[in-house]
Amino acid sequence: MTLTERIQTDFKLYATQAEKDSFFEQRQQAFETFEKLGFPTTHNEEWKYTNMKAITAGAFENTCIPSTKNNNYQASVFSGIKANHLVFVNGSFNKDLSVFIEPDSAIIITNIAAARKQHADLFNKHFGKYAHTETVALNALNLALLSDGAFVYIPAGKKLQDPLVILNFIDSGDLNVWVQPRNLIIVDKGADITLVESYESRGEHPSYINVVSEIFVDENAHVEHYKVQQQTNESYHTNYTQFFQQSNTSINQVTLTLDGKMVRNNLHFYMNGTNCNDLLYGLHISEKQNLVDNHTRVDHAQPNCFSDEKYKGILKDQSVAVFNGKIMVHQDAQKTNAYQRNQNILLSDEASVYTKPQLEIFADDVKCTHGATIGQLDEEPMFYLRSRGIPENEARKMLLNAFADEISERIKIPELVTLLENEIEKKL
Amino acid sequence: MSELEVGIIGQVVNQEYKYGFSTNIEMEMAPKGLSEDIVRFISAKKNEPKWMLEWRLKAYRYWLTLKEPTWQNFTYPKINYQDIYFYAAPKEKIKLDNLDQVDPELLKTFEKLGISLLEQKRLTGVAVDAVFDSVSIATTFKDQLKEKGVIFCSISEALQEYPELVKKYIGSVVPQTDNYFAALNSAVFSDGSFVYIPKGVRCPMELSTYFRINAENTGQFERTLIIADEGSYVSYLEGCTAPMRDENQLHAAVVELVAMEKAEIKYSTVQNWYPGDKEGKGGIYNFVTKRGSCEGAYSKISWTQVETGSAITWKYPSCILKGDHSIGEFFSVAVTNNHQVADTGTKMIHIGKNTKSRIVSKGISAGKSHNTYRGLVKINKKASGARNHTQCDSMLLGDRSGAHTFPYIEIGNKTAQVEHEASTSKIGEDQIFYCNQRGIGTEEAIGLIVNGFCREVLNQLPMEFAVEAQKLLAVSLEGSVG
Repeated sequence: MTLTERIQTDFKLYATQAEKDSFFEQRQQAFETFEKLGFPTTHNEEWKYTNMKAITAGAFENTCIPSTKNNNYQASVFSGIKANHLVFVNGSFNKDLSVFIEPDSAIIITNIAAARKQHADLFNKHFGKYAHTETVALNALNLALLSDGAFVYIPAGKKLQDPLVILNFIDSGDLNVWVQPRNLIIVDKGADITLVESYESRGEHPSYINVVSEIFVDENAHVEHYKVQQQTNESYHTNYTQFFQQSNTSINQVTLTLDGKMVRNNLHFYMNGTNCNDLLYGLHISEKQNLVDNHTRVDHAQPNCFSDEKYKGILKDQSVAVFNGKIMVHQDAQKTNAYQRNQNILLSDEASVYTKPQLEIFADDVKCTHGATIGQLDEEPMFYLRSRGIPENEARKMLLNAFADEISERIKIPELVTLLENEIEKKL
Repeated sequence: MSELEVGIIGQVVNQEYKYGFSTNIEMEMAPKGLSEDIVRFISAKKNEPKWMLEWRLKAYRYWLTLKEPTWQNFTYPKINYQDIYFYAAPKEKIKLDNLDQVDPELLKTFEKLGISLLEQKRLTGVAVDAVFDSVSIATTFKDQLKEKGVIFCSISEALQEYPELVKKYIGSVVPQTDNYFAALNSAVFSDGSFVYIPKGVRCPMELSTYFRINAENTGQFERTLIIADEGSYVSYLEGCTAPMRDENQLHAAVVELVAMEKAEIKYSTVQNWYPGDKEGKGGIYNFVTKRGSCEGAYSKISWTQVETGSAITWKYPSCILKGDHSIGEFFSVAVTNNHQVADTGTKMIHIGKNTKSRIVSKGISAGKSHNTYRGLVKINKKASGARNHTQCDSMLLGDRSGAHTFPYIEIGNKTAQVEHEASTSKIGEDQIFYCNQRGIGTEEAIGLIVNGFCREVLNQLPMEFAVEAQKLLAVSLEGSVG
């Protein structure tokens, strides 16, 4: 059974079992939207270079059962970090593996299924309000058939002492797995949170994960957000993250894509207030026939906001990288400063890069620049190092590390920096 | 926004189009609408060989299967192709040998446009081919060019006199099946210019074509074909104007350039079709397909364009860099005002080894207009050592205008070196202050700054056009940019 057919039967099954409340209606509607839109094809401008055929024609099971094989979930690099852990295995919440060390009981860290019942007011106020479903097929699909996910609420003025790590394990040891996590993070006025979303695969079978995260950031709040994708050469990943910010908020976002057959990230920021400050950085190291597709969009809807975007890629083998960055400056967003850069290093003759840095500007008093570069490692610094007796391999590693440094120095969790350094060491 | 600026932009908006007159001249027209019969009619009218008719019909049949594109960054009302005259020509029976036989009304029109053919002939040494509505009416300097072996004539004439050359190259760069408007043009094109520069010849003068839409409800579909044989050089200019009319008129031209080994073609455009009135009523839809192919090694094609007119400008002059070491260049200034729209840019397709391309695009949007740069740089797998540098800058005058950038960069070879940079800004208050302080008025200062902003592109234009382009810029943005 292909995924497209599987979706039909799964939803029918869900519809017969579900309680017929407003939440069901919302999901029913989303399912109809998805039916209407269908999976995106390469005829869709946003999906021109990324073909979903392997996913839609593939056979996947929507299962939350981990495989019978011994998969050491503790082996994750994040297990050792002093942090709150929310663990999901194949989309279902795993209470035993989760750890809460936050002393402040006013802070809510739980899963979506529980939050819908226990914190209904908060949930209903924010859930599904930021990530568009009407035009984005995969968001509609996620809403219709979501499994579970993280629910976090940081009340006004509070600060989460240690980071929160949302660990998603996709375990396809026994069969092809299809998972749809959904996260809702609410950061109230003046609150502060450091958040890591991690995606790790276990098992040799193909897997497909379709994530939607909504993050609401109220006035004067600050968010550190890291997304780390370490999957296998058999795993497909589509991701939609929507930040919705009020005035005087600041966000530091870093996306690290280290592995995965096909990874498509949609990262959206909507600045609904003045004086917002957003930094978004990304790095990917891709090899084999893998594809990494980063789509970002920053909506400057109000005046006096700042955004700085840097995405870097190192490509080996026959890998493909796609970058599409859009800065949208709305008519009222005067005094906007927006910067965007995409840099790629090709290490192989067979790798390809498709990049499209876009500006759409409707206000006149703005400063916006974007730039893109694609090339090999510079010969001159290489020669400099070689002439000082450093072997070619070493020299190359040094230069690539320097290239990655601009991103890694934005990461404030030391373990994450180490992970990145090891990954570069291993791959290059 | 200061009151002064409001005044300035007000003046910009009120600027009138000065080429808006129409000429009363007897026209011969085919019936309205488009059908196979019209295609046959046009072909018969031009006494074309049979293969040409077949070629047109193939294009027409293919066009019928196509849908109008929708990916562009603007919308326009649906064009009713049955309401357009696809063929309109001044009633002219005899073939012209010299300018004295041209209808004096027509000559007057061209004089009003500032391109007195007679004067041009005597003074400037630029060979001109003038296309009025659908038909080429006069070509100057033909004999002098002939001595060098250069062929410069209308494409209908070329079909009569050099059919084998036309047959070999027409559609070789922009095939009939290329896109919606190219297919339409291939079916119904009425005239245009044809240039052939033989091996090793450096064309002794600038070649120039002037296009004029006059008749109501007509579309202009001209086709230009330029072939530069091995080691030759040619610089070609085109200019365009149209009368003021309330309806939108369609202009769907095709330009094909072919550069052989070590040949160089420089193609410059100063486009000033009627842009519509300040409410956005009327104006020309300028939907043009322009493409050059660097066939041989070390060849070079350079596009320069100054786009100030048209309600909608939608074109991407492109270069296919097939030959090793070939070079493609694109220099563009697009100025939009009132409700004008420009969606323009280029495509650089690198196929040969060590190919280079350079893109410089400057967009200025005022009033409620929108200016889009859309460009593709594609480096094929085998195109090692390719190099591209792209720079696109936008300047915004007025807070209801928009500037957009959509660069596509597709790289398939690791030795490629591709850089893209873009910026958007308004004129800095500190820059104006600097000038004011030194006794330069605000208007003049804006003029200076805009001219400086565009200079890189204007410098690429041949002398005669550079002057005109500078004047045009001044007229389009008078008040705000001096």
